[in-house]
This record gives sequence, structure tokens and C-alpha cells, in this order.
Amino acid sequence: MDGSEAKKYVWEGAIPLQIHLHESEVTTLPAPPPALVLGPRNGYLPLLIPLIKPHFSSTLPPGLDTVWFDYKGLPLKWYIPTGVLFDLLCAEPERPWNLTVHFRAYPSETLSPYEGEDSVKWSFINSLKEAAYIMNGNCKCVMNMSQPDQLMLWQSVVKGDLECYTRIFSRLKFGTIGEGRIPVRLYLRIVSEKLNDLEDLPPISSWDEIRYINRPVELQKYGVCSLRDALESLLPELFMPKSSMRDLRMREKESGGGPSGIKSALGPDDFEVIKNTGDEAEQTHNIASTEVDSVESSCLKLIRIQGIEPNLDLPFSWAANHLKNPEHILHICLYILNNESQI
Amino acid sequence: MAAESPATPRKVVVHLRATGDAPILKQAKFKIGGTEKFAKVIDFLRRQLHRETLFVYVNSAFSPNPDELVIDLYDNFGFDGKLVVNYACSMAWG
Repeated sequence: MDGSEAKKYVWEGAIPLQIHLHESEVTTLPAPPPALVLGPRNGYLPLLIPLIKPHFSSTLPPGLDTVWFDYKGLPLKWYIPTGVLFDLLCAEPERPWNLTVHFRAYPSETLSPYEGEDSVKWSFINSLKEAAYIMNGNCKCVMNMSQPDQLMLWQSVVKGDLECYTRIFSRLKFGTIGEGRIPVRLYLRIVSEKLNDLEDLPPISSWDEIRYINRPVELQKYGVCSLRDALESLLPELFMPKSSMRDLRMREKESGGGPSGIKSALGPDDFEVIKNTGDEAEQTHNIASTEVDSVESSCLKLIRIQGIEPNLDLPFSWAANHLKNPEHILHICLYILNNESQI
Repeated sequence: MAAESPATPRKVVVHLRATGDAPILKQAKFKIGGTEKFAKVIDFLRRQLHRETLFVYVNSAFSPNPDELVIDLYDNFGFDGKLVVNYACSMAWG
């Protein structure tokens, strides 16, 4: 797929949501039916409030609204893009995604204060500045943006208008992803090693179960960096030492898979040979592998970026360029098996 | 320098700088565990300044999300061995 096409798909991506009013806020009989809306992946849940509120307004108790959402009892952080919440919390994608909306009793001990759409805009612009800082060493390009431009940029995100967004960014001199630092947000969900089926995964009951990590990936000027290389640089703890690679390779061979092999600029000395397997094919396979693709995660159960479970051989710069969110940050959800190399 | 294993929690030096009409703190530098969230820095400032509304920035540029880890902020934005945190009573950098 061509890159710009991928970007368009990502921008148009949306999650069908079925939103129920929390039972404590139902004052009419029968209770109102759930609201069905599409939640854009790159959007934020509070941006859906204007669509949802009219649906429930006739049944709400009197008083002031502070809207928030929960999924199976977990209050949803409003600053996390909707697509990321779905990828992270719905191990087995549920469509429509059943969420509960609340108009009262804001859980301020769990969620940061929400004061209307401006809170989301503020959070977005700050993330954009962070991204610019990581990429360029400063965020002057965002800070020097005119107010009308800033507003237009935000509106393009609210409306999912890629054309308008691209036009504003072409003026921004934001820097391109080719080399240097790429901002990444990682969301780590630890799952039991005994888990066979993602459907059996118990729902998250507290945000403490999720590790939230902000680390950039350093891209070198020359040489190809795969998604696997990037993950290894971000979370070296996740990757097992090479000596224990054999079993994994055997399993890979049995399943007919195996890395297609990003042949990096490494010299022949970097080739790793696992000897004495007594299996010719196995040996050939290993000889053909460079050090780069001999690294395999020991405990990575699942990786999701924008709803996609990408092949780890994917060039990282491609993923960063086309799968990043509008604030120029690549959000990666990882499901990690809980074993002795607990991180 | 002794190699720090990932098991030993790294400490980060935070340098607090008042901006605008915000009062200056007696102790402007303090150490905080890297695994703490930025929310802890904000809470500390709120308690010190007895103010509910406070605008907290890094490098006079942006407000990190309260959920971000102090160590990530230090690694990404720190320099000269410290993380510079600016605070103001009204919005300083939009």
C-alpha cells in the first residue's frame, strides 16, 4: 500500500460505538436506548459529546454536566486517542464497542480535570509541542503558530480533515521523519503467561495495570530500522538473549513463518550462527539471518498500532510516518506476557 | 560511575522556576524518583503555593500530561543534569 493511502485509511478509521447511559442517571421509564456513533480513531471521546448529549438530554437528572466515559467500570482517560483506548482495552476487538457515558459524579481522583473541549485542545497542542521538541530540539514552530492557524489545525483534527491538516503542516516547517528522534508513546498491558485466548483476558480494573512510557526512537542516517529494532531500543528488557533463540526459531519454522529478514548494513562478522542443531535447514536459516533479525521478543503477545497488528519487519520510519497520530506521536499498544523477566 | 541497574530507581533533579507573578520558592531544586508521575510535581507545587489553579510547564514551552513519568520527561527534555519546570498562576505559554 502506498503511504499516503495508508494515512488516509488511518484518518478515516473509526470505531463503531454503542454508548449506554449509566443506570444511576436514568430518570425515565423505559430507559433510553443506547446511542450509536462512530468514534474516529484519531479523535477523542469528549469530542463526541455534542452527538451523544441530545440523545440522553430528556432523561438526565437536573444539574451541571461533566461528561465522562467508562468501559467495564474503568474510567476512560479523555486525552488518549479513541483508537488507542480501543486497541489497548479491547483485547478481542468488540464491535460495536459498548461504552457507558456519565454526566455526573466525575471521578476526579482517576481522571485529570475536564473543562470542555478546550481541555482536549490544550492537551493536543501540548502533545504537539512535545513531539516538536523531541524531533527538533525546540518547539518554536508550534509556539510561533498564529492563533487562527492553531484553531484551524485543531478543527482539522476534530473534523478528521486530512487535507486541511496537511495544508497547515506544510506551512509549519515541522521537520520530516527520516532521521533523528521519533516521539513514541507506549502503552504496556501485562497479561498472564498462561493466557491462551485473548477473549479470556479479564478487563482492566485500574490504570495502574497499564504502563505508560514516552520514549523516542533514534533513527540513524544510514541503515534500515525495523519495527523490531525500534521496540528493542525502547524496551530492551522485552527481548531475550540470543542464546535462547533456538527454540523460537524451531517454532517459527514449524509454523512456516520466519522473519523475511531486513538485511541491514551489518558486516559478515555480525552474522550469527547457531551451531550443532543437527538440522541442515535450520542451520541455513540461521546463517542467512543477520543479527538484526535474530532478535525476537520473548514475551510480546500482541502489538497494535492504529488497530493494525503489524509485522515486526515493517520499516519503523514507514510506521512512524503513516501510522502516527495528528500530534506527530506514534502510539503503540503492547500486550506483554508476564514471566520472570518482569519489567 | 557505577552502572545503575534498572532495578535501582533513578532520581531526577527538578529545578522549579517561577514565571510571571508566581511566588518564588525557597527551595527551588529537589530530587524526585524517576518512576513518579509528573502529577506528583504538580501536587507538590500546589501544596507549596497553596493554589488550586496552577500552570506548570517544562522548558518554558509545554505542559506535559500529568501521567508522564518524570524519568521520561528528564530523558526527553532534561539538560545539564536537571529537568526545568516552570510554574505560573496564569497561562504563560499557550
